[in-house]
Amino acid sequence: MVEWYAEQGWTDGLPVVAPTRDKVDAVVQALGGDPDASLMRVPPRWGVLTQEVLAVNMVMAGCLPFYAPVVRAALLALGEPTFNLNGVQATTHMAAPLLVVNGPVRNEIGLNSGAGVFGSGFRANATIGRAVRLVLLNVGGGRPGELDKSTLGNPSKYAFCIAENEENSPWAPYSVEQGFQPEDSTVFVIATEGPHSVTNHVADDAEGILDSIVSAMSTIAHNNAVTSGSCAVVIGPEHAATIGAHGWTRHDVRSYLWLHAGNTFEAVSFGHRYGTVYNRHLPRWYRRTPDERIPIVPSPDDIHLFVAGGTAGRFSAFLPGWGHMTSPVLRSLDDREAPDVLCVDGACQL
Amino acid sequence: MSLTTLPSGETVYDPRGVVDAVDRPLAPRRAELSGARVGILDNSKWNAGSLLRHTVALLEESAGPFGEVRFYKKASFSSNAAPELITEIAEHNDVVLTAIGD
Repeated sequence: MVEWYAEQGWTDGLPVVAPTRDKVDAVVQALGGDPDASLMRVPPRWGVLTQEVLAVNMVMAGCLPFYAPVVRAALLALGEPTFNLNGVQATTHMAAPLLVVNGPVRNEIGLNSGAGVFGSGFRANATIGRAVRLVLLNVGGGRPGELDKSTLGNPSKYAFCIAENEENSPWAPYSVEQGFQPEDSTVFVIATEGPHSVTNHVADDAEGILDSIVSAMSTIAHNNAVTSGSCAVVIGPEHAATIGAHGWTRHDVRSYLWLHAGNTFEAVSFGHRYGTVYNRHLPRWYRRTPDERIPIVPSPDDIHLFVAGGTAGRFSAFLPGWGHMTSPVLRSLDDREAPDVLCVDGACQL
Repeated sequence: MSLTTLPSGETVYDPRGVVDAVDRPLAPRRAELSGARVGILDNSKWNAGSLLRHTVALLEESAGPFGEVRFYKKASFSSNAAPELITEIAEHNDVVLTAIGD
């Protein structure tokens, strides 16, 4: 049976758990029953994701049934029109949806937010991330080289799910910064590249650490440099403790990064060596003069800041985004309303 | 139901979900382009305009002359054209040329 699923092309290349009636039913129960309830259509194939189809993909991914509310919330968030899942699925860029979970559900289901947070070894992180990818592949049709046109792909397309390390953060959780209560469990989705490591074993103040992150952000190589949009910054607990000890708030950190990260217009436009069309997608309020600093993203609020990782090691990470074509989405696990999308004759408005 | 029965008699779950769509045939192909009102929809990618204009010029050499050529541009390459833009294009053109890609 495992081989049969592989032969159909319904896997991510790794063996799947064969879905059986009892396994699928257990996940459907965890979703509240109602297997035929339609959650959303998944682009670009626009397959209908029912609770049963979701359960099938979750079983294949190796999920435990009680992961279901997180997977469902993540997919509903991805289905919000502002996220533009169609574009993220089909792009030639390597961006993939990153899931960041906040709230009590993290500890309830064993999500890792500590050492090795972006890596392997934790069933919840691995299989929740994988379940989302299998839905994007099977229901959405996002198969590499077919509707998924990513030139290089990304290891994140196996699984890309982390939890914020709220317990080792000097700040309130990301979800609370965005207006949720600490007791709310939420999923945040943003299309990003993989994490770019930021090493700083020297600075004992906030500015020094943040200058290293600024350095990682200030390159013309990522999509933010030419198409703006949003990005994520993950600060490791050691760095966060230093920054927090100097009294810096989340707002201070995002504002500093936004103010000081950037590229010159000369760099972004290649000195007009290839013509003048390359700057079209930057906001019109950026000056197009050679020495002008072009911010990485339009505002500090477009830098989504988290604390995650182990308590030993002075590292943080910058995760460039895909660009202005997508907006990240934060969603409560309790929000089960389907995305408001106009669908006609099997296809949906982007 | 995502359960399906194989020729062997085994029952398996299909993880893909259905695509429910009404079959719509393609519009009949226009016999010739000579005299046609041609619309160009630029998807706003960096070189789309140049590519499409050049393509239309080549097309007109081989299949024209066209009755009229109008240019349009989407707000974003990653979204549908606005419904009002599509309505306008349909109203004023016989054929539309567009492209996707980098």
